[in-house]
Amino acid sequence: MAEYLGAQVIVPPNDPAHREYLEEAAHGRLSVQRCGNCRHLRYPVRTACPECRSFEYEWQPLTGKGTVYSYYVVPHPINPAFREVVPYVVALIELDEARDTPQPGRALRVVANIVREDGQSENADRVAIGQRVDVTFVHLGDGWALPQFRLSDESPEHETWQIPTRGPAPA
Amino acid sequence: MARGQSALRGKYAIVGVGETDYSRNSGRTTRAMAAEAINNALDDSGIDIANTSFGITSYSGNDATGSAAVMSDLGIRLDYEVDTMGGGSSTETLIGLSMGVIEAGLCDAMVIHRTMNGYTGRRIGGTPIGASGPPPFATNHGDHNLHSGIYGVGSALQSFSLAFVRHMYEFGTTPEQLAHVKMVHSKHASNNPKAYYKERVTVEDVLNSRYVVEPFHLLDCCVETDNATAIIVTSIERARDLRQPVTAILGTGGRAHKAAVDYAWGHAPITHQGGIHTRDIVFSNAGVGHEDIDVTGAYDAFTFTTLMQLEAYGFCEIGEGGDYVSSGAIELGGRRPNNTSGGHLCEAYTHGMNMVIENVRQLRGTVDDYCSDWKAGVHIYDYSERRCRQVRDAQVTMNLGWAQPATSSALIMTNQL
Repeated sequence: MAEYLGAQVIVPPNDPAHREYLEEAAHGRLSVQRCGNCRHLRYPVRTACPECRSFEYEWQPLTGKGTVYSYYVVPHPINPAFREVVPYVVALIELDEARDTPQPGRALRVVANIVREDGQSENADRVAIGQRVDVTFVHLGDGWALPQFRLSDESPEHETWQIPTRGPAPA
Repeated sequence: MARGQSALRGKYAIVGVGETDYSRNSGRTTRAMAAEAINNALDDSGIDIANTSFGITSYSGNDATGSAAVMSDLGIRLDYEVDTMGGGSSTETLIGLSMGVIEAGLCDAMVIHRTMNGYTGRRIGGTPIGASGPPPFATNHGDHNLHSGIYGVGSALQSFSLAFVRHMYEFGTTPEQLAHVKMVHSKHASNNPKAYYKERVTVEDVLNSRYVVEPFHLLDCCVETDNATAIIVTSIERARDLRQPVTAILGTGGRAHKAAVDYAWGHAPITHQGGIHTRDIVFSNAGVGHEDIDVTGAYDAFTFTTLMQLEAYGFCEIGEGGDYVSSGAIELGGRRPNNTSGGHLCEAYTHGMNMVIENVRQLRGTVDDYCSDWKAGVHIYDYSERRCRQVRDAQVTMNLGWAQPATSSALIMTNQL
């Protein structure tokens, strides 16, 4: 049985695309669907291509590198699965591939947590918009894994910014 | 320019509004509360029940009693019924739907209602009552459960916050500016005897409350309450013969979405609320502009939802909302007061219904404040604590209904027809 934070992970057999997504991750690949007709890359998993309405797709592995686009910190769990995990960082990560594609402002932006090497939540004081991140994988069992992200050794993409409650006080 | 119901401009009216108490201990079923709220709205309208053909619509998140049972309790036979899944922004959407239903000749009057034990029953974004452990992460528990829920993005605030933190980054919007929204709405609620929270709070109070989703505080969040609310729509001709001053509907816009609305983060700018699409529909349908609007009801599930919608609909420039909400403009006595009942932050959480009800009462001139003769429309226009909350000479109101950062509905009403 696949499990995460003590809760079951269920993807029914009639939902092959989501199963394949988790299987790709278990093989160490952050993969997204590439349209079999127009080659548009899409995230999250979708039934059809929002650009051309083709139902054909292949999996396209990405570098797993990106930049923090927005983030926040959760000190107060709602779902009981997260009781032992708080405070945790939720981030919106803009991946390196397909930026400004097919139009300016479009991008592959992925919601995930920022975690440390040991898989625990990253210290929120170390996270900022503009920080570079790398994908990592948490194994769920049953040949599935969940993509997560870690702070990268690379220099930030641009001047970093932290939520007003973190980091140095404004001048 | 959107095609829409401009042909229906001014042809329909809200003739009755009603609600239950706003509490955290209703001790009743959603069915019992719905019946009371609808009954209050019927009484408020003075409509001839025996000689009116009724339809009904409602919305819920699977946490309410179906309309057919409620109307059967009241002994009212239905010629039209549709219960929908929905939430914030459904109020304005279903008012627009109701106009179309009556226009199509399906019934004479429509009831719109929402009933929820939002505190003692199913709490929004929370775990269902009686659950023994964490629910599974499953693709059939929401289409993107594996792309958001599994990362601890489940509650409304957790879902909405990424958009507004980006707003803070791009425009320098501050927690202090946001706190003004709560401070102002609490002043309004202090003049509303039925508000759940009637105490005035300061900007400092907001900033000193605990974080729910950092950088957002407990007092940036709306109250959770048990209540039912109801609104009755019929033709302007019928409205003229009924009990209340006429509140005409100039235009609506219903749940317009940004692209890829189910996961809109891939389409920048995520800082622009979905009202950027709704506004063209509602203003063209209504035939009025921003300068004509005297009172707004900008949905305040959180302080920033009000701010983002006021920007999206053009009451200030996008990025200037922080200055706007802290300028005094949205306060009673200011240029364009917002949520004069105290809204979701203070009065009650009704999924948008109470903000429309409040604007109807503003247009009638009979807001239920602490003025001794408010029922007769006599107000003192003193907005200090435990006094008046009637806006002087309010002629046109606008409701801005938030579903989520990428979705919005709207409604413009007037007492000038």
